[in-house]
Amino acid sequence: MSTCAECRSFFLREDEPGQGDCVRRVVDPRQAFYQSKPVREDNDASGCESFQKK
Amino acid sequence: MKCTECSHEAGVSSFRYLYNARIDAPITLRQCPQCQAWLAVDEMAGEARQRVDAGEAPWGKSAGIEGLAEDAR
Amino acid sequence: MVAEPAQDQSVQELEDKQEWWWVAEKKRSKRLDYLRKSVWKKGALGGNYAPGIKLDLECATLFTDMWKFWKYDPIMMRRAKAIAHVLDNKTIFITDHSQLVGYFGSLPNTIMWRVDGASMVNEEAYNEPGIMPEPENESLQKVAELNDYWAGQTAVDKVARILDPEDAVKFLSGAIGWGAPSSAYGYSGKDYEYLFAGRRGFEDIIEEINAAVENAEDKTVGVPGPEILDIYDRLQNWDAMILVLEAGIRHARRYARLARTMAENMETDEKRREELLKIAETCERVPARAPRNLQESLQYDHFIQIFARTEAHEGAWPARPDYYHGPYYDKDVNVDKTLTKEEALDLVGEFMIRAYEVGGFAPRWAREGLQGITGTWVWTLGGVNKDGSDACNDLTVAFLQAARLVRVSNPTFGFRWHPKVKDEVLRECFECIRHGLGYPSMRNDPLLIQNAMHWHGHPLEEARTWVHQACMSPCPTTKHGVQPMRMASATANCAKMVEYALHNGYDHVVGMQMGPETGDAAKFHDFEELFQAWVKQMEWLTSLLVRTVNLGRYKDPEFFGRPFLSGMSERSVESGLDVVSPVGDRGNCWVTAFTWVENIDSLAAVKKLVFDDKKYTMEQLLSALKANWDGYEEMRLDFVNNAPKWGNDDDYVDDIMLRCLRETARHSRVMKCPSGNSWPILPENVSGNIHYASIVGALPNGRRCGDALYDGGISPGPGLDKKGPSAVLKSCGKIDHVSDGRAFLLNQRLSPTQLAGEKGYQLWKAYIRTWADLGLDHVQFNMVSDETLRAAQKDPEKYSEVIVRVAGYSAHFVDISRKTQDNIIQRTVQGI
Repeated sequence: MSTCAECRSFFLREDEPGQGDCVRRVVDPRQAFYQSKPVREDNDASGCESFQKK
Repeated sequence: MKCTECSHEAGVSSFRYLYNARIDAPITLRQCPQCQAWLAVDEMAGEARQRVDAGEAPWGKSAGIEGLAEDAR
Repeated sequence: MVAEPAQDQSVQELEDKQEWWWVAEKKRSKRLDYLRKSVWKKGALGGNYAPGIKLDLECATLFTDMWKFWKYDPIMMRRAKAIAHVLDNKTIFITDHSQLVGYFGSLPNTIMWRVDGASMVNEEAYNEPGIMPEPENESLQKVAELNDYWAGQTAVDKVARILDPEDAVKFLSGAIGWGAPSSAYGYSGKDYEYLFAGRRGFEDIIEEINAAVENAEDKTVGVPGPEILDIYDRLQNWDAMILVLEAGIRHARRYARLARTMAENMETDEKRREELLKIAETCERVPARAPRNLQESLQYDHFIQIFARTEAHEGAWPARPDYYHGPYYDKDVNVDKTLTKEEALDLVGEFMIRAYEVGGFAPRWAREGLQGITGTWVWTLGGVNKDGSDACNDLTVAFLQAARLVRVSNPTFGFRWHPKVKDEVLRECFECIRHGLGYPSMRNDPLLIQNAMHWHGHPLEEARTWVHQACMSPCPTTKHGVQPMRMASATANCAKMVEYALHNGYDHVVGMQMGPETGDAAKFHDFEELFQAWVKQMEWLTSLLVRTVNLGRYKDPEFFGRPFLSGMSERSVESGLDVVSPVGDRGNCWVTAFTWVENIDSLAAVKKLVFDDKKYTMEQLLSALKANWDGYEEMRLDFVNNAPKWGNDDDYVDDIMLRCLRETARHSRVMKCPSGNSWPILPENVSGNIHYASIVGALPNGRRCGDALYDGGISPGPGLDKKGPSAVLKSCGKIDHVSDGRAFLLNQRLSPTQLAGEKGYQLWKAYIRTWADLGLDHVQFNMVSDETLRAAQKDPEKYSEVIVRVAGYSAHFVDISRKTQDNIIQRTVQGI
C-alpha cells in the first residue's frame, strides 16, 4: 500500500508529527495556482490519481 | 396583427407582451407565438413595425438634451 | 472571455476613442493584468451562473460533519467548532503572481454554499443547472444528503416557524419584499475602530477575552444570586470566540506554510521566491498580531472578510479602506520608502480583485435583483476624521487610480464628499466616472453625518466614522454605532402601496388579499380618500416587514450565532454577548424602499386626470389597469404624457412626493427596532426594478405589468425627466435629506462627449457644487454612450469589460439581462 508520505506532493509539518500537507500545482481554464490540503503521512494513497512516488 | 417575419396573423394580445420600448411612446416589444421573433409593435395602430435584434432597439433617445445627445455619444 | 485589444493602437488613440477598458489593459502591470483576467466571475449573468462555476461542496460538508458531531453544544460553540473545522481542513490555494491570499471557497471557481441558512435556498442549489462539480451524480447525491439533514433546522426555518402565519405567507409570497430574516444572509457592519484604529490582532483580542473570562469566573464561584446566572452563557460565548479566533490564526499560518513550501521547493524565479517568502511572513504576522505595513494591513482586512463570510453569507462589504489602511501606505511609500507608488498600486489593485472574486450561492430572486454581481460591496472612501478635518489621503487616490486599472464591477466606491476635499482627489473621482465605471457614487458627507445624528442619535464623532453598510446606508464603525446585522428582508416593494390602495388591498398578480381593505377605489370622491388609503397600505406593508426583521434579529443569537463577528466587536468581547444581540447597539435600521417613485407619479396622474381635470372616472381607470392597459393605449399615453412627473421641478407632483415621504417618516418613528430606534426609509432599487417587473401590476403612471419599473431611489422615470438636470436636482432638493428618510438614491446619465477634457471636469465639478448646495445626499453617474451600449449588445465579446451603474452597484454590461440593459439605455442622458 502506498501512503501519502511516499508522494512527491507530501510535505511534513515540522510542528505536528504525522501531519502534513498535500501541495499540488493546478492549472484551470483561467489561472494557475498551488493548492494545499491537510493529509496524514500514513494515509492510504493507493487510490489517489495524483500520486507521484518520491 | 401580422408578424413581419413569418406573416403569422392573430390579435395583438396573442403576441406575448415583453416590455415597453419607452414608457412615453406607443412602441412595445412583443414576441410572435409562431416564429418567436421579437417585434416592435405600435400599440396605437395595432401593427408590428419591425423585427428587433439586440442593439437595434428603438429606445435610448435622450429626452433631456435633444439635439446634443439624440443618440448620446 | 476577455477579447484582446487592437495591439497596434496607442494608449492615446484608445483614450481618444474612450475605449477605457483597453486603456486599462495597456496601462496596468503584468501582475494586475494576469490577476484580473484569472478571476472566475461569480456574479450571475442575467440570473444564471457562468459556465465553470461550481458549488463548493467541500466547505459545506466539512461544516456539516462537525456540526453533527457537536450536537449537544450551545449554538455559538457548535458554530465555532464547525467553522474552525472548515478553516483547518479546507483546500487552500495561492494563485500565480498574487501577493494577497485567501478565498472562502476551496477552489477559485467555487461558490460558497451557506448550507445552514435556509432550506428554500438549499433546494434551489440542488435544482440549479450546471453548478454541480463533476461527477455530477455523486455531487447531487451529496447535496441531497446535506439538504435532508438541514431541512427544518436552518436559521430561516426556525424563524419561519414562529412568525405570525399570515405575516409569513404574505412575506413569502415574494410580492411585497425580499430577503431572509436571519444574520445567515445579513449585512454585517464591522467594528473597525476596535480592530484597526485600536491596532489589535487576534492574539490581543484573545488576551482581552481571557481577562473578561477570569473576571466572570470569579463571580460564578462567588455569592449565589440571579445576577450571576447569565454569566454561564457568556462564558460559553467567550470560549466560542476564542476558538474561532485561534482557528483564524491557524488558517493564516496554513497559507504561510504553503507559501514557504512553494518558495523552498517549487519556485525557480528569484523575485517570485522573495514574494512568496513575504506572503509567508505576512501570514505568520496577521491576523495573529496587528499589521506593521500596507501588505499586512490589507491581508489582515481580507482575512477578516473571509472568516466573516465563512460564518455567514454576507450580502454586503462595509469598509473604509483608505481611512484604515492609509497610515500604512503613508509609512511604506512616503516615510520608509519600502514600497514604490507602483508597487503599492499593485497591492491595492489586487486587494480589489481579491474581493471581486468572492461569491456565494444565492437564490434566483437575489441573482435577478443583483444581476452581474454577488453582493453590494460598496467601499467607502474620503470623508472626514473624527475631528471634522479632511480624511482623504494618498491611499484614497491610489484606490481611485487602481479602480481604473482593474475595472472590477465589485467592489465599487461611495465617496464621502465634503467642502474641504482637495481638487486633486475630486479629479480622481471624476476620472473614474469618466472612464465609465459608474463609481464612485458621490455622498454628501456633512448632510449624512447630520442625518445619522437625527435618526439614530449617533454622537458627532461616532457619526463621522460612517461607512456604507450596504449600497447606501451610512453606519458608524464604533463599539455602539456599528450595526452587526441588517437583513435585506426590510426591503419593501413600494409600488404595491399604490397598487393596493387602488385595489382595496387585493393583489391581482399573486391572487390574494394582501393589504388591509381600504375601500373600493371606484367610489373614492376625491384625492384625499385615495391618499389616505395609500397611507394605510404604506403603514401595513412597512410594519409587516419590520416585524419580521425585528423578530429575526431578536432570535438570531438563539437560531444562528456569530462567534467570529462577536470576536471582532468590542461590545461582545467586553460583554460576552453574541454581537447580534441588540444590547448596547444604538440601532441603525432602515427600510429599503424599492420602486418608490411609481407611487408619486401614479398618485399625481390620478389626482390630475381623474379628480382635478375629471377627464376620466375611477371606474375607467380601474378597468384599464385590470386590462393591463391593453386596448387603452391612447388613455395610457394621456396618463404618461399629460400628467405631471417627478423630476421636472413641478410642485404639483413634487408636493405629493413630500407628502408621501413625510407620512412615511412619521410612521418610521412609530416603528422601533430591537434597540428602540427608528426605521427610516431609504429609496433605492439595485436591479429590483427588473425583478419586480412581472410582480407589480399595471399602474396609473402608465406602466404595464411586465415593464421594468423606474431605476430607483428618487430617480425620475427613464425618459420622463424632460426639463434637464437642473430641474431634476431642484425636484430632489425639495426633499429634506435629513429628516425625510435615511438616504435617497439618484441615478443620472451624462454625456461622455460633453464631459471630455478639462472643460468636462469643470462642468461636472460645478454640477456637484449645485448638487451639494441643494442638499442632496447621493448621486451616481453612468457615462457610457448609447452607441457603445448598443454595440455591446450586438457584440458582447468585444465589449465584455464595459461597466455600467445599475443602481446601488455597478455591473459589467454584458452580465445583465437584455431587459436591464434596455432599461439603462432608456435613461435620459443629461447635458449639464
